[in-house]
Amino acid sequence: MNRAAATRRTTLIAVAVITLLVAAPLALGPYAVTTMTRMLAFAVLVLGVDLLTGITGLPTLGQAAYFGAGAYTAVLVGLHITSDAMAQALAGTAVGLIAAAATGWVAVRARGIVFLMLTLAIGESLHQVAATWPAVGASNGLAGMPPITLFGGPPLLPAGFVYWWVLAAAITVFAAVTLITRSPYGRTLRGVRDNESRMRALGYRPALARYSVFCLAGAIAGAGGALWAAQGRFVSPGDLGFEVAALALLSVVIGGAGSLWGPCLGAALVLLVRDNLSASIGGHGPLVLGLVFVAVVFLLPRGVAGIRHRRESRS
Amino acid sequence: MTPVLELRGLTHAYGSLRAVDGVDLSVLPGERHALIGPNGAGKSTLFATVAGTLPATGGSVLFDGQDITALSESERARRGLLRTYQHSSLFLNCSVLDNVALAVQRVDRVAYRFDRAARRFGRTETRARRHLESVGLIGRAADDAAALSHGERRQLEVAMVLASQPSLVMFDEPTAGMSAAETERFADLVERLPDDLTLLIVEHDLDVVFRLADRVTVLHLGRVLASGAPEQVRADNAVRSAYLGSARTDDLFNGGPR
Repeated sequence: MNRAAATRRTTLIAVAVITLLVAAPLALGPYAVTTMTRMLAFAVLVLGVDLLTGITGLPTLGQAAYFGAGAYTAVLVGLHITSDAMAQALAGTAVGLIAAAATGWVAVRARGIVFLMLTLAIGESLHQVAATWPAVGASNGLAGMPPITLFGGPPLLPAGFVYWWVLAAAITVFAAVTLITRSPYGRTLRGVRDNESRMRALGYRPALARYSVFCLAGAIAGAGGALWAAQGRFVSPGDLGFEVAALALLSVVIGGAGSLWGPCLGAALVLLVRDNLSASIGGHGPLVLGLVFVAVVFLLPRGVAGIRHRRESRS
Repeated sequence: MTPVLELRGLTHAYGSLRAVDGVDLSVLPGERHALIGPNGAGKSTLFATVAGTLPATGGSVLFDGQDITALSESERARRGLLRTYQHSSLFLNCSVLDNVALAVQRVDRVAYRFDRAARRFGRTETRARRHLESVGLIGRAADDAAALSHGERRQLEVAMVLASQPSLVMFDEPTAGMSAAETERFADLVERLPDDLTLLIVEHDLDVVFRLADRVTVLHLGRVLASGAPEQVRADNAVRSAYLGSARTDDLFNGGPR
């Protein structure tokens, strides 16, 4: 297949998927639409994790902290300043970026398991802060955020409208991350992933690349958190705990690290099992996720996205 | 003329073993300088110490007249001091084009740009492709580097270093493991390089050394044994006994004549 045909096919698939996603609220009930909204917000977090883990080779368990920082910021902005969803999302993104910039400098000095443990420590510390600080509701979290508005319009109460806003924002993030992976900067990140000492020998400062992408991933996680809050209008310490971080990393592994659409599918699957299927299988959601994880590691080492690769290399 | 590279008593010790022991060496601009010596002579350690991969434990490295002993490897590379590796060190899960483009985009100062796709940076892409062409790998630009053969990897390695706009290139056994045809191709490539580019080559293949080099330095047990024009070195008795074949076996273990 030549490149033009491949590009055309990718464009066609993208248009079809976006059309389906946009049309979904017209056909589905409010509960399904709410579920999909949460999946989209979670997928934004997962994109940030993938940027770190799949593109730059830095598996992380700390992204939930910046996701939480974005969610808390959005709720606080919603409660005290404005119900404008755009402002909330931008504030969440900014706080995610700042939080990552402030804490990441320690983490990016390390690699591999040590990096993983440092990000875990950062995540757990922020979780502790959220769970004990009265100003953000301590263990009760923050509730009572008014419904979001857009462009000074009326409150967006129907689930479908919130969904469309979150969808638009998620597509924007997806497009931005796609551009990053294809840009010279994305190439630099892949170089750091593949062979850091060689990057140094070529005159790069790998620490700079690692730090910058850590901040970027923090900003993306913050945006995801703000979108999460726009739907739930509530945030609690549970939204930035270890479980969220682990599920985000799990989504990347299931979907295929380094691919972008794979981890988004992974995010949808993980949330579906945790929030929706779990109740109907007697609360055994984590068990199912564990089995899916084991199956993926054994059968699809490159995740869901690897299926396409395998087909192409066979044909 | 200021030497491009000047080593003054350069030493690197692994514990009590001085793998590089007070080496003095100067390489003039445009020179093709070969570094030879038996296994364990300290050639690779000397390379790593000059490139900054290993820290010097004594002495100093001067590059273009400036002391760079304290600078990091990446800072030395930015100043134009580039090296290749004895065992190809590539970005295996990236495309062949990406491998070279990584070198070019750093020189072009676009390595951190993400405002458009990499292939829309026309100047960088063109230069990367031209470097691939010069080593004969343009047909494999889209393949993963992991798919290249050993010889092709060495060629890619050369392209990456030349794409970094070096003023001094240090080749660490560039033809090791290459077929005769690939070695010939490499020698051709080196002969076609611009005259103002300075080369320091560690090489085992003495045919290549005597074909390419204008000066040869012989290293033995971490010290400079002889340095001079190829014919001069070839005729040197100490070199003969240490390296070129007539050494008595016990010399190899006792250090040989100094």
